[in-house]
Amino acid sequence: MIEQLSIPFQYEYMLKAIFVSALIGGVCAFLSCFVTLKGWSLMGDALSHSIVPGVAVAVMLGLPFAVGAFFAGLLAAAAMGFVKAKTPIREDATIGVVFTAFFALGLLLISLYPTGFNLRTIVFGNMLGIADFDILQAIIICGVAMAVLLAKWKDLLLFCFDPNQARSIGLNTTALHFVLLALLSAVAVAALQAVGACLVVAMLVTPGATAYLLTDRFGKMLGIASAMGVLTSAAGAYASYFLDGSVGGCIVVLQTSLFLLALAFAPKHGMLAARRAGRKAITNTLQEASA
Amino acid sequence: MTCKSTPLDVNVSNVTVTYNNGHTALHDASFHLRHGSICALVGVNGSGKSTLFKAIMGFVRPSRGSVTIGGRPVKEAQKKNWVAYVPQSEEVDWTFPVSVWDVVMMGRYGFMNFLRIPRAEDKRLVRESLERVKMWDFRDRQIGELSGGQKKRVFLARALAQGGRVILLDEPFTGVDVKTEAAIIDLLRELREAGHIMLVSTHNLGSVPEFCDQVVLINRTVLAFGPTEEVFTQANLTLAFGGVLRHFQFDQSTVDDTDGRAVTLLTDDERPVVLGRGGHLEHRLAKEKKQGDPS
Repeated sequence: MIEQLSIPFQYEYMLKAIFVSALIGGVCAFLSCFVTLKGWSLMGDALSHSIVPGVAVAVMLGLPFAVGAFFAGLLAAAAMGFVKAKTPIREDATIGVVFTAFFALGLLLISLYPTGFNLRTIVFGNMLGIADFDILQAIIICGVAMAVLLAKWKDLLLFCFDPNQARSIGLNTTALHFVLLALLSAVAVAALQAVGACLVVAMLVTPGATAYLLTDRFGKMLGIASAMGVLTSAAGAYASYFLDGSVGGCIVVLQTSLFLLALAFAPKHGMLAARRAGRKAITNTLQEASA
Repeated sequence: MTCKSTPLDVNVSNVTVTYNNGHTALHDASFHLRHGSICALVGVNGSGKSTLFKAIMGFVRPSRGSVTIGGRPVKEAQKKNWVAYVPQSEEVDWTFPVSVWDVVMMGRYGFMNFLRIPRAEDKRLVRESLERVKMWDFRDRQIGELSGGQKKRVFLARALAQGGRVILLDEPFTGVDVKTEAAIIDLLRELREAGHIMLVSTHNLGSVPEFCDQVVLINRTVLAFGPTEEVFTQANLTLAFGGVLRHFQFDQSTVDDTDGRAVTLLTDDERPVVLGRGGHLEHRLAKEKKQGDPS
């Protein structure tokens, strides 16, 4: 039995997949706390799709795909900012127009100029076939993103919570906005490799949303989300060996299961807790009335 | 936390603010706030109150005129953490996973190092500020679990922890019950004694004579500025609000015929402003409550 369970560890590609997934999952989850609180979930989804044309162009030019993806992400964010500032169109519509335009452009480029990089990899990820150069890329992106997050999480927290206060004590909120966007783009690029453009947003939202249900302290939220990100991603990559299924699918299904557990059983914000509190309130009212 | 250092003042002179879209939100506004004073900022919605706040906080740069604090430009005052802002309740996300302690500690960020690690001094000031607004016992509560008045006091504590000497308050009495309103007013009076300058944007006209020594009436420009009893007249309020205010005309009611001067005026939410013949303000300042009064 134990021999059976340890089979994945005998393959180098599985070890790499588990390690890289855990790393990306952890950083995504840390960032997801800011994304969910800032209300940028849709923005994360948009950026993860908008980087596709960047990947296509970078591969055509023989550049590391992360470079192209990162710039495409920032360009998309700038385009959204521009449309939002210049027109009265609502933000969700703006995001919808821009990211689908970028994604469509990416699809078009890839279909017109086929390269070694195939569409399946971009859309669904290819963790098990990850090249060493891409692993290095992911490690660098995650390392830099994590360093920035650990150094500046308090400033980012204040920026998300109360941008006016951040500004009035002299923090550069424009820079913080840009930092958060850049982190989101960079981490989406790394996660693209693991789970693909479609599921990146899950890794950038679900851990934060789950942790939010479990605590009302931001520090604990960061810890819970990160632990969840690391564990589910490693476990998802591991499980994919036995299920012979997609790594991205395994990771996100695991994360969603934890979210559903939290939704039901969270001590304060869970559905059962809410029902208990409701019942208690009714009993109290009845007792007061009879007293 | 009294202002031991040199007294400050706020000087707004001929400020015009035009936004990028060409809209001039404020035109040629001038007034002066002295050390240890409370000034009400009164005007209809869209009259430029928030633009004025933004100009004092350095968020918008006046296209003409200037704002100086203690004789220095706003940017410099901002670096010294002199200007603190108490937001309107509607602007705050109360579901955010932060505690009372966390929020007040945010007032200290400007003094901390790159990593924002609080020192003993920061913790002491946070504690002092929370004790001052009587919220120390609530320090571990998530901010959404507080009553309306408690929420206000937390943000006031943050302003104090920041060492804010000019405190801008945006609608401090909305969503606050009558007792808490009195408690907040007492606190503002104490801060005035300690030398703070407070500018209070409010729709609650009746509370203004209670605690504000000065009033700025604005509608896209400063319509009137000066001591409350001089500025708060029917003529000026009509100028500021036009037909927007509700009137109760005593001379058209039966009050004079039956009750003479012995009339009780009740209102459910906001205090009324009562103006006498010729439109002067009918208000006698109540004796200030003793320090430490539990209300």
